[in-house]
Amino acid sequence: MDELDPVIHASARLRITAALAALDAGDRISFPRLQGLLAMTAGNLSTHLRKLEDAGYVDVDKTFQGRSPVTYLSLSQAGRRAFEDYTARLRALLGGTP
Amino acid sequence: MTENDDLESDGLTPEQSLALIQGETRSMKRLFGVQVPVYYFVWGGAWLVGYLLLWAAWPGSPSPVAVPLAVAAPVFAALILGAAVASAVVGVRSNRGIKGTSDFVGTVYGISWALLGGAVGTIGYALIRAGSSDAAVAIYYTSAYALLVGAMYLAGTMLWRSVDQLVIAIVMIVAAAVTGFFGAPGNMLAMALIAGPALLLGGVIALARLRRM
Repeated sequence: MDELDPVIHASARLRITAALAALDAGDRISFPRLQGLLAMTAGNLSTHLRKLEDAGYVDVDKTFQGRSPVTYLSLSQAGRRAFEDYTARLRALLGGTP
Repeated sequence: MTENDDLESDGLTPEQSLALIQGETRSMKRLFGVQVPVYYFVWGGAWLVGYLLLWAAWPGSPSPVAVPLAVAAPVFAALILGAAVASAVVGVRSNRGIKGTSDFVGTVYGISWALLGGAVGTIGYALIRAGSSDAAVAIYYTSAYALLVGAMYLAGTMLWRSVDQLVIAIVMIVAAAVTGFFGAPGNMLAMALIAGPALLLGGVIALARLRRM
């Protein structure tokens, strides 16, 4: 289990990463939409996003829609690569080909 | 998941991790694909019912049920307008909170429908002004809109790599090309019976794909 990336290997962060990885490359999702999709509280989602952002796995884009601030999220290139490595290692651990 | 969820590994086994990934990927795909059957059903219903009504209302139609044109024409218009509004609402809703490539693609795709639909209508109006017969105008409108749908589905095939859309595109293009040879109002009956069921079948297949995800 040591070889699995600890930043991703926690259920909340794994769900966030998998959801962001399912977006088309070049797409970003707003914080409220992601929160709704994952059915997580805003505080919980923020906490885990910060951890992913600190690792350089998530790009956070703060912008304005009219006068309201909106945060858009996407996997960074490093995040996408880390998620692919994580998935490959999982499959290898489970006896498949990496 | 709780507010105090552990920041470190929470003892996930590889099996659980993989199941989480697959579950999340599946629900994201399902969420962004949930509108596809709606498009097919709404448009399939509108084309089937709308063109059947127009056919039944056409002077000299062999329809067993007589429908006044004053009823058929506005109902047809309402069905098409309703389908367009429903598609726009569903499309915007499914894309809310998403920015980037697919947001741009979806917006241009949506505007293309309106732009081309307006152009087809305008050309038809020009044909009427130029003195085209009712029969010729009926053939033009029926086939031109089917051709437009076929072309947009071809674009959809390329944008979203959807074989379903390719099949529907081919059906619509063939329907556009051949129904005119039935003359008016036979072309409307043919269009109702080709395009309507093809789109409805597309909806059934899209729904089955969604459920299998």
